[in-house]
Amino acid sequence: MNNDNLVEQGMNTAADINNNYSSAPAGDDLLDFDDDPLSATGVSRKSLVIFFLIDTSGSMKGKKMGELNTVMEELIPEIRKVGEADTEVKVAVLTFSTDVRWMYSAPIPIEEFEWARLRASGVTSLGAALKELNARMSRNGFLNSPSLSFAPVIFLMTDGYPSDDYKAGLKELQANSWYKFGLKAALGIGSEANDNVLAEFTGSADTVVHAYSGGQLAQMIKIIAVTSSQIGSKSMTLSDDTSHELGEEDVFAAKQKLLGQQIQDLVGKAEADDVPFDTGW
Amino acid sequence: MTELEIGQEVELEFGGKAQVLSVIGSGGQGTVYLVRFNGQKWALKWYDIDKMKKPKEFIKNLRSNIADGPPDNKFLWPKYLTKEAEDGTFGYIMDLKPEGFDSFVDILNTYKLEVDPLTGRAVKKDVKFSSLTAMITAVINIVNSFRLLHRAGKSYQDLNDGGFFINVNTGAVLVCDCDNIAPDGSNFGIGGKPGYMAPEVVRGIAQPNVQTDKYSLAVVLFKLLFRGDPMEGEKVVRDVCLTESSELRHYGQNAVFVYDPKDASNRPVRGIHDNVIKFWRIYPDYIKDAFIRSFTTGITDPTKRIIENEWQKLFIRLRSEIIMCGCGRTNFASMFVQPTEKTFKCPKCGMEFATLGFSNRSYRMPLYLGCKFYECEMIPESEEFMKVAGELVENKLKPGVLGIKNCSDRKWRAKMPDGVFYDIAPGKGFPVWQGLEIDFGEIKAQI
Repeated sequence: MNNDNLVEQGMNTAADINNNYSSAPAGDDLLDFDDDPLSATGVSRKSLVIFFLIDTSGSMKGKKMGELNTVMEELIPEIRKVGEADTEVKVAVLTFSTDVRWMYSAPIPIEEFEWARLRASGVTSLGAALKELNARMSRNGFLNSPSLSFAPVIFLMTDGYPSDDYKAGLKELQANSWYKFGLKAALGIGSEANDNVLAEFTGSADTVVHAYSGGQLAQMIKIIAVTSSQIGSKSMTLSDDTSHELGEEDVFAAKQKLLGQQIQDLVGKAEADDVPFDTGW
Repeated sequence: MTELEIGQEVELEFGGKAQVLSVIGSGGQGTVYLVRFNGQKWALKWYDIDKMKKPKEFIKNLRSNIADGPPDNKFLWPKYLTKEAEDGTFGYIMDLKPEGFDSFVDILNTYKLEVDPLTGRAVKKDVKFSSLTAMITAVINIVNSFRLLHRAGKSYQDLNDGGFFINVNTGAVLVCDCDNIAPDGSNFGIGGKPGYMAPEVVRGIAQPNVQTDKYSLAVVLFKLLFRGDPMEGEKVVRDVCLTESSELRHYGQNAVFVYDPKDASNRPVRGIHDNVIKFWRIYPDYIKDAFIRSFTTGITDPTKRIIENEWQKLFIRLRSEIIMCGCGRTNFASMFVQPTEKTFKCPKCGMEFATLGFSNRSYRMPLYLGCKFYECEMIPESEEFMKVAGELVENKLKPGVLGIKNCSDRKWRAKMPDGVFYDIAPGKGFPVWQGLEIDFGEIKAQI
């Protein structure tokens, strides 16, 4: 498994880079006579798009939606910090009920992002949402940054069983390389949400969590969104043990595994905190 | 007790309590809080021991670092340990970052975000060096602090852009995050930050040590001067998506310097790496050669990496070759026209600059109003690169007459047009003229 595959499969426009930009030093004459050693622009940053897929079906109405809107507003400043010097973080929000809608027509840099409060009504068209995500998750679509990108973070939140053929949507999405290398996590809200469906989406049960109360909902959204954007926006230290030289197979999907571990740790801790003081003795 | 509450008190090992006032920031290993202790404000780093591999060894190392003290006052060094909490969590107290220092991260971004406390809206503020001298001085300070650390037999291990605060007006440097510093050869679990880690650490065949610090130091210096990643060029960008396996290849197994003279496969890409393309043309060859060596032979052979003392000499030279022309153009002498062996000329306004040649070096120092030389350039055994020894000034009583002022505490001798050497006491000066000779003691200089 290497990136050459990746380029061929989904990111077909990699070759465009070489057409659009000549590599130095071929065209130094194109530069103005501007040689001030202090006139630097910011270092070229890698980009990371965080996709939020949010269920806005009728069953989300009321407290769930209120809680979700509030926590998302509060979350933005927290995610702002994670990029640091290395990564430009952008956010795209896709809502799905009877219809599928993007909150904004393109991913917005986190520094400028403002949460538009969502309303709930209609049914749960998860399959349509996954198809729409697949359509936009390409070099020609939402992932068109000229510089390097990290694989996207994709965070699904839903409170019900899909009302359409989600398997068809998922099948299309699974052929998308950005999805394959992306960091996937999902949150089931309330007792109707099916964790198996969510695990099909993320590819592993570790990155699926469930919230049953309002307080939990806020906590879980924060845990998943902050952890996944932290992991997604940084390169990772590949190895801590120096007993053998690393190969491709050692590092494959290392970030997704780490995400699973950290989410489970944090969720475990959060649940332990939830126990009333007089129980568990 | 991974996180502390505002208002909570933490007991220190040798008595006293620190009260938590607010959160300053959090990192990979824990959170830094603003605390009050003994009536003063300090920073408290509190660890998340779940994320630590060897907490017992870590704390033991921290304790011995505190006992040893910092190699120099440029380090924000751990001061006091806290008592361990019941679950084993602990922290330490250190000085707060003084006013006037910006993080290296903000310098690389060229701005910082300041949040308006009323609206919560983040506003961008420029972060830029106010002069070229300040930037090169910052480089010398960074290099020197690692020289002192390595001389103390320790390695920093986790050298990256989060490790420094810099004063963009003076070039003063503070080294922070000193808690992973360990005797060379030992490691308490930190690997480093990708992009800064030496290739052998990325590949999993070495632990951080003094030699890997040298690689990371070269990356830090490259980023500060050229404002880009030394290993990120065409070859890397072609991958589009940086997956774990592409990082292993581009920063480990097959790391190629963007200006490797023998391998053009990874050149910077216009539109993405414009800074690197632009600045690479500006720096003189002796600086570029040092980076080429660090990132070509130095990749596979750690012993070929540039040692700190060598960097220090190169950048002290570079600082002395800055020309600030009256027309506003500031650059290195190599970017000026050189009409004769002993003069430089501004390509923009045509102004000419005389130079001073020192008896102990082959390159000449251009003279312009306000240019300075330092004690280490005047006394062979001196290490004082921040202490000004002499400055080119205008005579306050005779406007228009330029001369060199003795800012050192030594007596110099200077030759005047009558052919006689006169004593120049500290605080005094003498006019610059064609045929000027200066005797600093061991080192002599002449126009």
